[in-house]
Amino acid sequence: MTKSHSSASPITRRELLATTAGLASSCFLGGCQRASRSLATKVIIIGIDGMDPRLCRSMIKAGQLPNLAKMAASGGFSDLGTSCPPQSPVAWANFINGSGPGSHGIFDFIHRHPHTQCKPFYSGAETIPGEGGWEIGDYNLQLDFWPINHKPPDTELKRKGVPFWDYLDARKIDSTFYDLPSNYPPSPSEYGYHRCISGMGTPDMLGGYGTYQYFSEDTRAGGIEEGGGKRSQLKFDNGSAKAVLVGPENSMLKSPKPVQIEFEVHRDVESNAALLEFQGRKIMLKPGQWSRWTQVDFGLSTPELLPTQYVSGICRFYLQEIAPNFRLYVTPINIDPSAPAVQLSEPPDFIEDVSEQLGLFYTTGFQEDHKARTNGVFGDDEFLRQANIVLEERLALFEYAVNNYEDGLLFFYFSSSDLQSHMFWWNEEENAKHPSRSAPEARKHHEYVKKLYRRLDKIIGDINDRYGGNATIFVMSDHGFANFGRQFNLNSWLRDFGFLNTRECRSILVDCDWSRTQAYGLGINGLYLNLKGRERDGIVEPGEEQEQLTRKLIARLKAVRDFNGEKVIRNVYRADEIYSGNATQLAPDLIIGYARGYRASWETVLGELTPDVVTDNTAAWSADHCADALEVPGVLFCNKPYKLESPSLIDVAPSVLSEFGLDTPSTMNGSSIFRS
Amino acid sequence: MLTTSWWKINSAVSGTSSKDMPQVIAWLNDLANRFASIFLSPIAWLPGWLSATIVGVVTGVLMLIVFKYTSHQSAIKQTHDQIKANLIALTLFKDDVRVGLRVQGRILAGAGRLLLLSLVPMLVMTIPMVLILGQLALWYQARPLRVGEEAVMTVQFVSTDEKAVNLVKLNPTDGVALSIGPVRVPTKHMVYWSIEPKQSGLHEVSVAIDDQTFTKQLAVGDGFMPVSLKRPPRQWTEMLLHPREPAFSPESSVQSIEIGFPDRDSWTAGTDAWLIYWFVISMVAAFAIKPLIGVNV
Repeated sequence: MTKSHSSASPITRRELLATTAGLASSCFLGGCQRASRSLATKVIIIGIDGMDPRLCRSMIKAGQLPNLAKMAASGGFSDLGTSCPPQSPVAWANFINGSGPGSHGIFDFIHRHPHTQCKPFYSGAETIPGEGGWEIGDYNLQLDFWPINHKPPDTELKRKGVPFWDYLDARKIDSTFYDLPSNYPPSPSEYGYHRCISGMGTPDMLGGYGTYQYFSEDTRAGGIEEGGGKRSQLKFDNGSAKAVLVGPENSMLKSPKPVQIEFEVHRDVESNAALLEFQGRKIMLKPGQWSRWTQVDFGLSTPELLPTQYVSGICRFYLQEIAPNFRLYVTPINIDPSAPAVQLSEPPDFIEDVSEQLGLFYTTGFQEDHKARTNGVFGDDEFLRQANIVLEERLALFEYAVNNYEDGLLFFYFSSSDLQSHMFWWNEEENAKHPSRSAPEARKHHEYVKKLYRRLDKIIGDINDRYGGNATIFVMSDHGFANFGRQFNLNSWLRDFGFLNTRECRSILVDCDWSRTQAYGLGINGLYLNLKGRERDGIVEPGEEQEQLTRKLIARLKAVRDFNGEKVIRNVYRADEIYSGNATQLAPDLIIGYARGYRASWETVLGELTPDVVTDNTAAWSADHCADALEVPGVLFCNKPYKLESPSLIDVAPSVLSEFGLDTPSTMNGSSIFRS
Repeated sequence: MLTTSWWKINSAVSGTSSKDMPQVIAWLNDLANRFASIFLSPIAWLPGWLSATIVGVVTGVLMLIVFKYTSHQSAIKQTHDQIKANLIALTLFKDDVRVGLRVQGRILAGAGRLLLLSLVPMLVMTIPMVLILGQLALWYQARPLRVGEEAVMTVQFVSTDEKAVNLVKLNPTDGVALSIGPVRVPTKHMVYWSIEPKQSGLHEVSVAIDDQTFTKQLAVGDGFMPVSLKRPPRQWTEMLLHPREPAFSPESSVQSIEIGFPDRDSWTAGTDAWLIYWFVISMVAAFAIKPLIGVNV
């Protein structure tokens, strides 16, 4: 770990006296929680994903967020302009670069390669398969050290541009980021003053963004693969059953296959308990009980004479039911923070140091298992409980972060507010009827979100008590929230207006006639023209034809109305008007800004078509933020007064730099909120 | 008492067949337990690294002394001298390949002879060392449970008693509560409980089948205590590995009781690491003290 270093700002006599007085009073008041005694500049950012300004205002008014209210009074509180589109990877990358998507090249959760005609990939990172290798029998060994005709597989961070911590790093100012989104694999620190644990975008051991495994008696033989999960059947014989936990693929094989671990399940219906025998360990559970984190060693077979390689993952078991239908949920197999199989932090051993103190914890980017809830493996209460387990872990990590903070920049990210809002948010003032819950139920669930806000308020109060007088504290979110009651299938709409063919097309990834398709939708807010010379099978001529088509699409999309006359799309943005920078190659041509209450349909995201264009959203995921950016701003609270009237995400980084006495670099479009 | 145990062992070893081996091990364990209760008891209040170091040093020195008096010291010295002479010859005649090879052969033969000369002391030390390591494992291989920390207790039944699995019950005590279970697994003749200690101390957990009671020690606390992972069946290997509690007889319905104590996390006195640390420290101590007591190794 790097040592603490003095920051650029000088200390005045008044600050020195204030610091001393603050420390003395905190000791006198019996503050047993640690606060750094360093006199160097301190900036703390609490990133609360999805914290909504409207809800904050109403709760502050009701006296339910006293600490945020205090912050707003002593410093400031305002909406924080989000990114266009307002999706977390885009928004957090705006924050990181202090500049818009044209600088970092992330425009949606999903991107496509134009040369492969819309083959999708996760926008934040891409795994590039290896080339060459040493072939022995069934194996193809990747020799990392071999320089000729050989390239090992690699995961590439797709975010471009200069992250703002690089400027701090160059000035020998410490910065530490916990669970930072849009930063997997973690970007390197040139001078060793930047530390970071990757957040959103970090995969699990199976290489996805969280694949749970579910074992039950009522699953059909052969199992089920569903988005974000795998179901397997259990058959009990005399109270015992065998199950298989699927692990990572053995990439040393020519045809990679997942490593499987057999384990035994014993149940005792009479005493309502079960025992799992797993790699020599015994885990006893009763229904409704979670196990602790369990380390799982996956043995990767190797050619004879070479020792078996092991990679370590971690998972937790949750026993849902003993009988009549035995049900067991296993979390996605997370990368073990105490012995990470891939780099999860910068420097690489940072996460191991944290794990040594805190034990094992979730490392995947998406920790609240919304897929399990969406697929019906969890009920609402079970999802809430799992989300609270995540929150408790994050709070322990937060305590660690604060206790190990000396000076410089500390950033901590909370995901709970986002994923709990996706599942539980429902503003009945905007839409009285929830698509799948009764009004009292929807109200009860929305109350969970408010409860979480109150909890986060207490945490902010604590950090203010510890550092209020000695640090600049920002509380920010990347976007707000809105109901998601109705969904719009962009590709179905394009099909109905003849922009996408054939009429029988079910998915643009399967059976689209590209020779008769002028435009297609992929990702949540993106619309792409099938442009000649750019897309593999492009037909739209660049220039006049492109311009005419663009104008036609914008006009028609803005005119879309729901069955009740409500506007579905608030605005449509042209990429060539709103994006500037060196990284616009993968940008969609148009960005759809949905009206509140609407969003792209689930099918649209990966290019599927449905008979109807606008339908009810009946998923458990009943709130969202992928609307028009102006509809869902985030929040900005600061304990220091600021002057900028309408700050946005890109202004946070310049503001942080200015606190350390650094000017806004030319790579940033934002400006410090402390300067008018 | 120690004399009585030693007398029993002598009689058993000299006058009985190999099927009485468990009985011999039982007496040896009895002797070792009594010995350890006196000499290893300071481990309970010393820091782990310090006790592991002291134990390593003391056993290293003791092994050296035993080696001195059980080995053929003059033969070892003679072999050492021959090896040294051959090493000098190797440097003197390094240009002569034939001499060089012959000398290397002699060095190898000398090393082999040293190994042979060590056999007797090694044989003498094997049993005491196994017993000492068995006792040290009780302190370092696992840590006691903490109050409120759950652990799985496994009872293994004899395969011929099929009813026992369904009849067994965990007896409640003040110090230990049942948290989950039992889970009966008839195919394996096993029953599992999850137990939760309520008080610190050395407790006894007991299970009952009809009017028969079977007990198992349970160590609960924060520091160092002898932790018996398993009350073993009457098999001499198992008995050597788990020396603290008497083995179950082959006729008993219960064949073993095991508790899943947690690993102790330490580089010097922690699970598995303690053995490496003990070996290194005892070797270093033995080599350091060697010139002082004039031993040829």
